[in-house]
Amino acid sequence: MILTSSYLLSLTTFIYLGAAVLYLISWIFRVDKVGLLGTFATVVGFLAQTIGILLRWVESYQMGYGHAPLSNLYESLVFFSWMTILVYLFLEFRLKNRVIGVFSTPFASLAMAYASFNPNVTDEIQPLIPALKSNWLIAHVVTCFLGYSSFAIACGMGLMYLLKSKDYETGLLSKLPSQKNLDELMHQTIFFGFLWLSVGIITGAVWANEAWGTYWSWDPKETWSLITWFVYAIALHARFVRGWMGKKIAYLSLIGFISVIFTYFGVNFLLSGLHSYANAG
Amino acid sequence: MHIQWNGMLINLPGPFLMAISNSSQSVSGTPPKPFWHILTSVRLAITLFILLAATSIIGTLIPQGESLHLYLEKYGPTMFQVIKVAHLYDMYNSWWFIALLLLFAINLVACTINRFPIISQLYKKDTGLQPVDRLLKMPKSAAFTLSSADSLSEKDLTRLLPAPFRSFDVENGRLFFHESGKWSYWGVYILHISILVILVGALIGSIWGFKGQIMIAEGEKVAEAVERFTGKNFPLGFEVYCEKFFVDFYDTGAPKEFRSDLVIFENDKEVLRKPIRVNEPLSYKGLTFYQSSYEAMPIITFTITSADGKKKVLKLPISEKVNWQEAGLNLGVMQFLPNIHGGQAAHVWIGDDGLPPEAIWFLKGAEKEFRRGNNIYRASITEVTQRYMTGLQVKKDPGVWVVWLGCAGMLLGFGVVFWVAHRRIWLWVGERNGQPTLILAGRTNKNNMQFERFFTEVEHKIRAATGAKI
Repeated sequence: MILTSSYLLSLTTFIYLGAAVLYLISWIFRVDKVGLLGTFATVVGFLAQTIGILLRWVESYQMGYGHAPLSNLYESLVFFSWMTILVYLFLEFRLKNRVIGVFSTPFASLAMAYASFNPNVTDEIQPLIPALKSNWLIAHVVTCFLGYSSFAIACGMGLMYLLKSKDYETGLLSKLPSQKNLDELMHQTIFFGFLWLSVGIITGAVWANEAWGTYWSWDPKETWSLITWFVYAIALHARFVRGWMGKKIAYLSLIGFISVIFTYFGVNFLLSGLHSYANAG
Repeated sequence: MHIQWNGMLINLPGPFLMAISNSSQSVSGTPPKPFWHILTSVRLAITLFILLAATSIIGTLIPQGESLHLYLEKYGPTMFQVIKVAHLYDMYNSWWFIALLLLFAINLVACTINRFPIISQLYKKDTGLQPVDRLLKMPKSAAFTLSSADSLSEKDLTRLLPAPFRSFDVENGRLFFHESGKWSYWGVYILHISILVILVGALIGSIWGFKGQIMIAEGEKVAEAVERFTGKNFPLGFEVYCEKFFVDFYDTGAPKEFRSDLVIFENDKEVLRKPIRVNEPLSYKGLTFYQSSYEAMPIITFTITSADGKKKVLKLPISEKVNWQEAGLNLGVMQFLPNIHGGQAAHVWIGDDGLPPEAIWFLKGAEKEFRRGNNIYRASITEVTQRYMTGLQVKKDPGVWVVWLGCAGMLLGFGVVFWVAHRRIWLWVGERNGQPTLILAGRTNKNNMQFERFFTEVEHKIRAATGAKI
């Protein structure tokens, strides 16, 4: 059979799901070797997905369209999943802790499942409409999704924090990073995401100025990205200056990610505006 | 005093933190003024974040900028009153939303002004002078026992530390101090001031900027734009000529390209020629033209033959009177239907000097006879072609470069806050507990891992230079 990008990409749904299960088993039964297998699966999935994305890029040239695979809902979901795994693998490598994988890989798997198996999301390669024909497309999408993916992982950390209401000596939850470390890590991840969301909003503004003649038009997508920006700005300021820690920041991390999801999907499906080409169809 | 910033340990002297968290308790000891206190509080900043975020949602739920009667239809009379009074139909330009933004800006200015001198003062005061016991309690420290106090000359010692450094006499010994990245504390200011710069840029744009629309038919020139909000005409100061408009589609039916070939004329002289597309605007004398829409207008080719054999082919655009002089006839298309009974049809208005005008429907390809006085004519639509009208967005925004400057500053600020660390490293040599000793100590306010590598390097250098054991 011919290896197509769609096939390879839908396959990664299961690889990431498998990785999530392996991380979970390793966490519950405390077998480090299974965790290693989880890392292996994640890396394999990541490579397969990278090849899938590149293949799709090549396919778009073969079809005569020739554009980076970042132009519709399917492609953005794939890219979100890819970026989330990239950020996660970086964290795992830096922190040498696999429990975060339990709370991160499911985001990537879910995004891929939604992209591959929802009949409303077409995996067809579509030509670029005039509004998207710009060099800013790649810069804008990459920076925004670096932000979104970091927020997804920060949300996972928030869940971990809330799950671990105190530092246990033994038991399942003792394997989670200590509350202090989790809190610090979550904050760092939020700040990293905030930085990239800001860059994403700026690149979007530059692009909008080039395409529509206005860098800010209060289009629902723009407005919601600003709302998201405010939520995380609250988290950062409350912590730095008012000393909010732990639970409060964990809740803000969840609220922030809900806002991210609404910016990402809700705006496309429920509200109309300039970003309507991001719709499922 | 330790506080967490960005998951990285920041250690600031006590008053530093106080200055940040409790802004009004200024070091000079003046009693806090309540109004200034509120204005400079981060509590206000957070409240404004929440208010701005929450109110922004409204504008994404209620469509913006529609004509008022549509809101009445959609939301009913009660909600309509609310929408009208609270200006929710154009919420982001409403007085109360602008007021919130203004308060946000004032809060930002106040916070900056309030904290600037305090931090600056503390910043200058911190010389790096530390007692030896404190050095040993630093996050990173190492003590070496030397064979003799004179085994290292001052020159040797200073070679171990990166330049520049300061030195002090401390407790029967000499302390050398090096720091880098202290200025990174200003990163937050760069960031905050940049946001103000962006707001100023937006203000400049809204005061001196202009947004408008022009429609130009192919082969025509336009010298005025229609202002978007007021509907007033705005003279461009030159003429824009649309030579040709192209629209191209993919096989899927999705649009592939919209292009207008534009020429700028000034005093009837061609000064600039450029095709524009979406994402490829044209700028001239501070005005920028963007491809934003188009309209296709049919042109009907109308062939008339009179009873005496005179034949005329006329091109009839919609709603334009065309004259056939020889026969003394005026013709015009009142309405065009692109698809009726499987064909194209036009309602053609016919008039002449003496008789009342009449209008006749013609189907393309079907000849019809009509009579004007004593003359009988046979006429038909022989061809229908398209003529395009391009829709351009016109913009003048003198504030846009200020906005970009603010954006660049923001990125710089983020870079500094995230990646530039304040690193401090101390080297003390002297006698301690009767032994010639060297103490190395260091701390950083972020990026601990990189600092550890740096610290270890210095440690290795010392060991190599002294042959000392830890």
